[in-house]
Amino acid sequence: MKDRTHSGWLFVVPAALVLGFVGLIPLITVVNYSFFEIFILDSRFWIGTEWYADIIGSERFWASFGRSTLFSSVILTVQIPLGIAIALCIPRNKLWVGISLAVVALPLLVPWNMIPSLWLSLLNPENGILGRLLPVVGWPSDWKGSIPHTWAVLVVMDVWHWTSLVVILCYSALTTIPSSHYQAAAIDGAGPWQVFRFIQLPQLYHVLLMAILLRFMDSFMIYTEAFPINAGGPGGATMFLAVDLGEEIKAFNYGPSAARSVIYFLIILIVAWSFTKAQSKLDEKQPE
Amino acid sequence: MMKSSRAFAALKLIGLLTFVGFIALPLIQMTGISFVATLAHPDAEVGTMTLRNYRAIWTDPNLRAAFINSIAYVLINICITVPVAIPAAYAFSRMSFVGDKHLFLAFIAFRITPPVVLTLPNFQLFSTLGIVNSVFGIALAHCLFNLPISIWILQGFISAIPKEMDETAFLDGYSRPRFIWKILLPQIAPGIAVTAFFCFMFSWVEVVFARILTTTNGKPISMALSALFGFQTDIGLVMAVTAASMIPGAVLLFAMRGHLSRGFKIGKV
Repeated sequence: MKDRTHSGWLFVVPAALVLGFVGLIPLITVVNYSFFEIFILDSRFWIGTEWYADIIGSERFWASFGRSTLFSSVILTVQIPLGIAIALCIPRNKLWVGISLAVVALPLLVPWNMIPSLWLSLLNPENGILGRLLPVVGWPSDWKGSIPHTWAVLVVMDVWHWTSLVVILCYSALTTIPSSHYQAAAIDGAGPWQVFRFIQLPQLYHVLLMAILLRFMDSFMIYTEAFPINAGGPGGATMFLAVDLGEEIKAFNYGPSAARSVIYFLIILIVAWSFTKAQSKLDEKQPE
Repeated sequence: MMKSSRAFAALKLIGLLTFVGFIALPLIQMTGISFVATLAHPDAEVGTMTLRNYRAIWTDPNLRAAFINSIAYVLINICITVPVAIPAAYAFSRMSFVGDKHLFLAFIAFRITPPVVLTLPNFQLFSTLGIVNSVFGIALAHCLFNLPISIWILQGFISAIPKEMDETAFLDGYSRPRFIWKILLPQIAPGIAVTAFFCFMFSWVEVVFARILTTTNGKPISMALSALFGFQTDIGLVMAVTAASMIPGAVLLFAMRGHLSRGFKIGKV
């Protein structure tokens, strides 16, 4: 049971101050800008909710929203099961655990702006390992002109980049299962599936919720990695929400980009809120 | 029974090896190119095997500075994040206070806020305070996502410690802050290491804040890499810098393998 004491605030004040500075103040600034027409920052006039109406009413916004949702759904359906499966495959031997984890986590260490470059050079038809192999199985040399192929590259790239995070999180949770649980299961004659379903999976719920939250949001708002692959093409088929926002910012459209940021932040709040709801549901079900 | 479990173990091994192969593919490509001269240089013709790309990292003052900048801002970030996160994680783990749930929600919301949403005002705020083009600015900006994650991880470690330990210490006359400092910290030392590692991992590779906060000076590795792209890109050098940028992380990862494999439980509030 937690102590009911308001001195708890004293302990969180430093963290709240730091996040207030790097998060809340910029956020309030953005909210403020979103109601103005701004040519240069010193001259602006109030236009109310016009930018919001423009964005919500535009087909482009909803198209990007749909694409981002689809991308996130694909990413979650691939990465979460794959991450769990790989975490289960990691050997129990101490030396090999270290080596496996270290190798698996390597993609997390690549600077984000280099991830597209790595994949583009891998797909380079002249000297790329995949670029030379793939045409054999019918991969077109002008894949950038094809929507499914561009999407496939983006999905595989993201799976490469981020599945490791799911693996590390799941593995770390799996190792907290006491070996007595496994012994009891062995005595009962449980097969691998039953061990997974009734012993391992329940231990993973909390960490999976977190993995889903992080992977959902980061893929929903994919930015740095998505654009360089095919510049949002072909025909805007890989323009995601954050890419749209990035383009607005590059064009110095302060007002519209601010309004867009606020809309995105509202989406973020809804996601964060559903996450905490799901978490407390889980706590009720699994009191420990 | 024996036979099927051996087949299952073999299947697991094949699965892991396939995944490792997939992970390794782009990295093999990267390493391969990094040893090739991709532009004509006086000492190496195009297409020859060479170490000059790696030598260039050492001799080019911009690249050398970029490595120093990256290491500096990540260390500053860890030094801000961890001390601020420890008391907060303790409070979320042990105490209940007015607004704790809402505050936690706000922290999570900031973690999942993509930097691109806050780039403009962040740049203005930081330039007003004169901390653009410095490693300190990036270090501070990265607290946006590192601080919530750190609180989260540390909270898992603190919650794993039995509460009786707190109570015994209070009976012995410890105040909460002294308890945290004297008794809790040594207990959660592995947790602090894991937290610092995650801060490193998320901060080292970030580019959006790094880009807007360093226009002239203080450029980290990722921005030095962007600067290498141009009309004639020396892709060999680009790959060598990328490969070299992964070395500190790989060393840390290997050093942390014990902690990561011993297991930690996060995500439980």
